[in-house]
Amino acid sequence: MRKDIYEKMEILSNSAKYDVSCSSSGVETNYKKGELGATHTSGICHTYTADGRCVSLLKVLLTNFCIYDCAYCINRSSNDIQRAAFAPRELADITINFYKRNYIEGLFLSSGIISSEDHTMSLILRTLKILRHEYKFNGYIHVKLIPGGSMELVKEIVELANRVSSNIELPSDKSLKLLAPNKTKEKVLQPLKYARDLSLEKGKQPIGMSTQLIVGATPESDKDILKLSSVLYDKGLLKRVYYSAYIPVNDDKNLPAIITKPPMLREHRLYQADWLLRFYDFSYDEIVSEEFPNLDEDVDPKTSWALNNLSYFPMEINKVSKEELLRIPGLGARAVAKILNARRFKRLGFDDLKKLKISIKRAKYFITCNKEFQKQIPFYKDSIKQALTKPPKKKIYQPSLFDIEYSAITGEL
Amino acid sequence: MILLYDGSFEGFLSLVYKVYYKRLQPNEIYKILPNKILFEEIIEIETSKENSTKVLNAIKKNFNKQSLQKILNIFMCDTKNFELDLLSFIIIGFKDKNELFNINNPYVFSLNTLEKEFFRLVHKMYAYARFEELEDGTLYAKIDSKFNVIYFLAKHFMKRFNNQKFIIHDVKRKLAFIKTNDFIGVQEVASFEVPTYSQNEEKFQKLWKSFFNAVSIKERENLKLQQNQVPLIYRTYMSEFFNEPTKK
Repeated sequence: MRKDIYEKMEILSNSAKYDVSCSSSGVETNYKKGELGATHTSGICHTYTADGRCVSLLKVLLTNFCIYDCAYCINRSSNDIQRAAFAPRELADITINFYKRNYIEGLFLSSGIISSEDHTMSLILRTLKILRHEYKFNGYIHVKLIPGGSMELVKEIVELANRVSSNIELPSDKSLKLLAPNKTKEKVLQPLKYARDLSLEKGKQPIGMSTQLIVGATPESDKDILKLSSVLYDKGLLKRVYYSAYIPVNDDKNLPAIITKPPMLREHRLYQADWLLRFYDFSYDEIVSEEFPNLDEDVDPKTSWALNNLSYFPMEINKVSKEELLRIPGLGARAVAKILNARRFKRLGFDDLKKLKISIKRAKYFITCNKEFQKQIPFYKDSIKQALTKPPKKKIYQPSLFDIEYSAITGEL
Repeated sequence: MILLYDGSFEGFLSLVYKVYYKRLQPNEIYKILPNKILFEEIIEIETSKENSTKVLNAIKKNFNKQSLQKILNIFMCDTKNFELDLLSFIIIGFKDKNELFNINNPYVFSLNTLEKEFFRLVHKMYAYARFEELEDGTLYAKIDSKFNVIYFLAKHFMKRFNNQKFIIHDVKRKLAFIKTNDFIGVQEVASFEVPTYSQNEEKFQKLWKSFFNAVSIKERENLKLQQNQVPLIYRTYMSEFFNEPTKK
């Protein structure tokens, strides 16, 4: 039965939705006169779906037919679901028309594996060629490389795409073997290594690459996950790692039961830790240790680090360096920039921070301003943690209907 | 003392001129007199081309480029009463241009905050402006925004739609940026007729809507978060939100 275009769109975007990556940031603006499309360095989120996630790219699968049988994946071959496929030209047309209406920044193209790896990759490549060469499209294109594809095809795709990725999905080889019997870590990372080597060869700016890890499907600790991310960042292999709370879509004896809720808080904490790795100059072993391999769910990782390293605190905000300021819980890059700017002109007190609209809800336990220190909470790990996680509630007095301490007639006390 | 000017940039510069040369000390500055009883002296400032050029040249000569740009950006925030702060900002600048970078100064800080708000809005409009295709292939966007963002949008979309004809129409301000084969620029729009849309328009809106609904993960539904990200005020012309539920 032939499906109409709306049905296809529904099936193929529905199948792609579990891919978290949807960013269009981190590329230089590249517009050309007389052509269509330009990327925007900060990225643009064009709308937000009902689950509150940003839509930046047209995220679809070219097809959800697949020869693989990965336990966690909705499109695995043994699942009985509706299948569909876009023709390369059809998809290119939709992309262009969406782009012209300012719905999207570009295309995120992934695919199930139809007949063979190389066949699938060549279909992807054809779509890219139509977009770039025929339609002169300069918008953002992200391609998910197919594990096991040939180097020649990877090379051609890397030349046309803005970013490529390959999902590791599971943090260890053991889990991969269990849940994705047709994949190995080697095989998954292979296309990324190809892509890196290719761009290094040319001495150009290397193409941005990313991957995704599923959290909560297998027993790995946060330490294993962060260590892996950290290694991948250090090797310069990746620009970003995405974490995806495991949402059960299949019943499988090797997976958590289908009724479990996705571990959203854990995912959130992992992202916080990931930011510390990338922008705050932390190393993974500062955030998680042998002793505490998992992130504390009560407080964010930076606070947790600070509580375990109270000897560095309290910091005098008028004196310490930028790097040290960035280590203060509750202060982000913007707040730090404001402090650095403002303290050139005067010594800052708590009042000045307030005037600069810097929130010190968390930071106040860890700083001194002009030698002044907050007085309510003693400087001990437990009392600060207590204050951060369970702030004293304001007592609300609810008068009962028969309270007659005031005059019922005038309302006077 | 209350000063009244016509709301134009030249008008404001003429006001700066008058404040300097007549040593005025305004408590309030209005574009249009508010509907309330005022007990103070009201001075109406006449817009003068000569005076405004003098002030502008003085600013160009004495201020850093960034500060001039900031003054222009602030002027786009036409629904805010920024005039008193901006006047103080200019006065401070003439005394010491470096003081304009001291964010401990309340006037500088408040203008920085407003400018940030402005750019946040500009960025939101980059994202949430929606074009529709007309019969002749021209892309047409209606916008409705708190501040005057049309110049920034024009610059942004000139890069993206370099080979397209397009119109960005600020409905409330009655302004439109038009790019056709033989005209590029902003025009006032006195009246306009509902245009004829291309045959494809409905198809792609429907397709967009089906994509929009399909990529949402049901298990993670969070309408509150969605509404924080796309407040209802932006949704007027965003077709994917037509007939969608909102936060309870």
